[in-house]
Amino acid sequence: MREHAALRDLAGGIVVLVIAGLYYWAIGDIAESSLSDDVGATGLPRILAYILAGFGLILTARAVMAGALSPAPRPAAEASAPSEDEDETSALPRALGFLAFGVAYVVLVPIIGYLPAIALLIGAVALYEGAPRNWKTLATALGGALLYWGIFVKLLGVHQPSGWFF
Amino acid sequence: MHSLGIAFDLLFGSPIILYSIIGLIWGIIGGSLPGISASITMALLLPFTYGMAPVQAIVLLACTYIGAEYGGSIPAILIRTPGTNSAAATVIDGYEMKRQGRAGEALGISLWSGVIGSLFGLLMLIMLTEPLSWVALAFKPTSYFALGILGLSVIASMTNGSLLKGLAAAVVGLMIATIGTDPISGVTRFTFGSPELLGGVEPVLIMIGVFAVSELMMQSGSKGLGGVSEQVRVRLPSLSMMNRLKRSQFIGCLLGTFEGLTPGGGGSIAAFLSYNEARRWSKEPEKFGKGSEEGVAAPETANNTVASAALIPLLSFGIPSSNSTAVLLGGLLIHGLLPGPRLFEQNADVVVGLYLGSFIATLAQILVGILLLPVCVWLVNRPRAYLAGFILALILSGIFTLNTSLADLGIALGMGLVGYLMRRAGYPLLPLILGVVLGHMVESSYRRSLLLSGGDHTIFLEDPIAVGLLLASFVFVTLSLVREFRDARNAKLKDAHA
Repeated sequence: MREHAALRDLAGGIVVLVIAGLYYWAIGDIAESSLSDDVGATGLPRILAYILAGFGLILTARAVMAGALSPAPRPAAEASAPSEDEDETSALPRALGFLAFGVAYVVLVPIIGYLPAIALLIGAVALYEGAPRNWKTLATALGGALLYWGIFVKLLGVHQPSGWFF
Repeated sequence: MHSLGIAFDLLFGSPIILYSIIGLIWGIIGGSLPGISASITMALLLPFTYGMAPVQAIVLLACTYIGAEYGGSIPAILIRTPGTNSAAATVIDGYEMKRQGRAGEALGISLWSGVIGSLFGLLMLIMLTEPLSWVALAFKPTSYFALGILGLSVIASMTNGSLLKGLAAAVVGLMIATIGTDPISGVTRFTFGSPELLGGVEPVLIMIGVFAVSELMMQSGSKGLGGVSEQVRVRLPSLSMMNRLKRSQFIGCLLGTFEGLTPGGGGSIAAFLSYNEARRWSKEPEKFGKGSEEGVAAPETANNTVASAALIPLLSFGIPSSNSTAVLLGGLLIHGLLPGPRLFEQNADVVVGLYLGSFIATLAQILVGILLLPVCVWLVNRPRAYLAGFILALILSGIFTLNTSLADLGIALGMGLVGYLMRRAGYPLLPLILGVVLGHMVESSYRRSLLLSGGDHTIFLEDPIAVGLLLASFVFVTLSLVREFRDARNAKLKDAHA
């Protein structure tokens, strides 16, 4: 368990280093301005990139010292049972699947319009989360879409994206 | 006496009570909808105020602000989504209480604390408008910078044993805050040619992404979505509980007043500072983060105090200290009202009406809050699978209302993924939020200070307000470091003994 935490911290430290690197690289695209002050538009970003890189190095080093890279022996009995690590591994694709519904909505809403898109979103997510495939789910999706359309479009007067149908 | 006469005229000769209640209801509902902040709730009303008498329009907007500050805590407690920026600190213990089956109790504490905070803020507004506004007038860029640092220093005591990860998350938050147009030179930074990023990334998108979207992902990934499975009833605190909450509410009132008076302070900083101080002064600090009643009371008292106290610099000098007060300033300007000493002389009815309307809304908040809460609770107390679809749909619809931009949806979903990965890797989310919220103020005031001094950093030592705030920050961080080292040493000793 401790090795798993160290490995997780190692991955986190490396990601922090990568973010610092990418951010520093992007600073190069910031244009110079004649209106700029002594610190300049790149001043704080540079400092932040250095600080984050420093944190990333410390986090990585700390994870390595905690045994992230040392092979962890695993008892046979434990190996045969589903571990917490395996649960976490299966949770990631499921969570990403959930997020995919949001992404699909962003792609679909300018095409099919707000009302059908939001109905599809509610219905699809409900089914993904275990709702039964029956009229109740369908009615909930349609009712929910009408409710949101009423609140946002009619009551608040916010123009939601229109598509081919609505 | 003159003001009392105006108050009686308004009370009995105008529909001011009606406007107060409508504003309050609108604010609670708007504030409780994720993605619709207090300022948006108020801004949506602005077009409707054109045809109203000035006093009615201002009362409507001010009472909406009061309602939204309370309403923001409802989704914070029930679905881990702060309805308004200033309700972000309420998520910590409010949602934890909900997970423990104490959602009704958390909502009751939030409501009660909101009323206490609003009443105190209103009292300050009436009593201290003119004398204390001199403090706001004395704020210089150096003071703003120090205020931002004070807000960031709160991170140190919120990371629960992972200070380094918390600091890294805060730096990432500050990095996000640098996206957009440079505050001094106007140069674009990290926009990658996207016009949607020119104005920067709105903190509310980050909040919704890392709090709400990541929570939906976490729950979907584990054992399905956790709705409010237990029967939730609003439970106002008992007398003994009210007594226990007094200390944290007092802290919330004081810090809420201070932050409300401080331009740029705002409800978010007040809420986080109050949470931090309530924990520091609590008899049960170990309960914070694990469903502490005081952890809900302190930030809720603070952000409701800010809603009234923030009107002091606005009315006295026309300085909006937050987005919401900026909208209220817009409401004043629509009706040709200019804040300042002349407002008190020439439009006393507006000022007195504002006080009176806010007082009515504050008192009505208890009843309206109780009546509306079951509706809000009902909304989230649906079957888990359906709730997931409804919450995601609400989030995406709400976000679109900000700028009617699909890019905002992409940003929030992206931040949801970031929040999910951070939580899986054990990185705290709150420092990231604070970095985003305070980043602009810290950078712009720092650079403005150096512009004034010609690059001389000793300018920060010449401003007594800045020195005081920086010293307070130093004390926060030092105490937190000492506690972290002490806890680590104790843990090692415990391991050695085991």
